[in-house]
Amino acid sequence: MLSGGSILTPDETQLHAWMLGAQAGDPVATHRLLDGLAPRLRAFFRSKGARPEDAEDLVQETLIAIYTKRAMFDPDQKLLAWTYAIARYRMIDRWRRTGKRGLDLPIEDFEHALSAEETEAGDPSRDIARLLGDLPPKQRTSIELVKLKELSIAEASAQTGWSASDIKISIHRGLKTLMRLVGTSATGDIS
Amino acid sequence: MKTEDLIEALARTPEAATPDRLYRRLALALIVGLVLGLILIRVFMGFRPDIGVAAPMVAMKAGFSALIATFAGGLALRLAKPTAGATGTLRRLVTPLGLVILSAIAIGLITLMATEPGHRFAAFTGGGFPWCIILIPFCGLPTALLLVWAMREAAPTRLALAGAAIGALSGGVGAMVYAMFCSVDSVSFVTIWYVMGIGLAAAIGAMVGARLLRW
Repeated sequence: MLSGGSILTPDETQLHAWMLGAQAGDPVATHRLLDGLAPRLRAFFRSKGARPEDAEDLVQETLIAIYTKRAMFDPDQKLLAWTYAIARYRMIDRWRRTGKRGLDLPIEDFEHALSAEETEAGDPSRDIARLLGDLPPKQRTSIELVKLKELSIAEASAQTGWSASDIKISIHRGLKTLMRLVGTSATGDIS
Repeated sequence: MKTEDLIEALARTPEAATPDRLYRRLALALIVGLVLGLILIRVFMGFRPDIGVAAPMVAMKAGFSALIATFAGGLALRLAKPTAGATGTLRRLVTPLGLVILSAIAIGLITLMATEPGHRFAAFTGGGFPWCIILIPFCGLPTALLLVWAMREAAPTRLALAGAAIGALSGGVGAMVYAMFCSVDSVSFVTIWYVMGIGLAAAIGAMVGARLLRW
C-alpha cells in the first residue's frame, strides 16, 4: 500500500465520508471522492510499473469501476483497501486483455489488442467519445445527454420521450459496457 | 477524454447505490433455480416412487445438501466483494466450508468401516455407478446460470474462486433437488458422492468463473 505523501491531500477518513456520500447519491461527494482517489491510483499504477499512458487508462477504468460498483463498498470497511483491490483487479484484467503475461487469447482478439496498444501510444488520453459509438443507441444517447451535455434526467426524458427510470438504467448499463470497452474486450483466464 | 472530464461526467448525476440489488438478485436466483431444478428432475427422471414413506430420508439428504449450500453461499457472498483477495482473508473464508466437507467425508468413511464387509461395496456405490456425481451439477445448472446473472451486480476480484463458490452453491441446491429422485439412503453414499457431485459443480465453476464473472 502507498504511504500518504504530501500530494495526497484528502486522507482515508475524508475519502470514506465522501464514499458514503457517493453511495447516497450526492454529486459533490462523488466528485471529491473520485478526484481524491485519482492521484493515488495514478501513483499506484506507476509504482506497479505501468507506462504513464497505460497508467492513465487504468486510472480511468478504475474510476469508472469505483463509480459503478460503489454499492459493493461496505461502510465498515477500509476505503483504500477496497480501492486498491479494485485497482489491482483492473490491472490484472488489462494484462489479460492486452495479452501480456502470455495468456491464451483468441488470435483476432490479440490482433485487436495489439492495434489498440498502437493507437494508445499516439493518443494517451483515450477518446471515450469514440467508444461511446460502440454502445447501443439508447445507452449512448442517455449518456451523451445526461453525462456529457449536462441535462437533468427529467430534461433528457422530455427530450427523448423515454421514462426517467429508463434513462437511469440505460446510463447504468452504458457505463458498465463502457468500462469493458475501455481497452479491448477479450476473454482469458485468471486465477 | 481527460481524467478530470471523466470524473466530471461520472459525478454529474449519481444515484443512491446499495447492495440490495445484489441481494435481491441472489435471493431470486436461489428460489427460481431451486424451482427450475425441481421441474427438471420431475420432468426428466421423476421423484422416487416411495417419496411419501421415505420422506425422513429425503429430508435428511436435502438438509445435508442445504447445509453445504449455506456454507458455499456464505463464501460466494464474501467473494462478491472486491476485498476478498488477500491470502489471510481467503483462508478464513474457505475454512468453514472446508471443515463441513471434510467432516461429511469423515462421517461417510466411518460409517462405511462400520458396515459389514459384504455390504460395503453396495453401500459405497449404491449398487451401480453413482450417477449423482453428474446429475447433481445438472440439477444445479439453472441455479448456476441465475447466480452468474446475479453476480453481475457484484465486484468479485478472485474470479476462479468466486466461480467455485457459486458452483458449490449451485451444486448444493442441485443436490437438494436430486434428493427427491435418489433412492439410495446409505449414509456413506450420500456423504461421499453428494459431496463429490457438489465438488464437480465447484470445479466447473472454477474453470468457467474467469470467463463468466469478468467485469
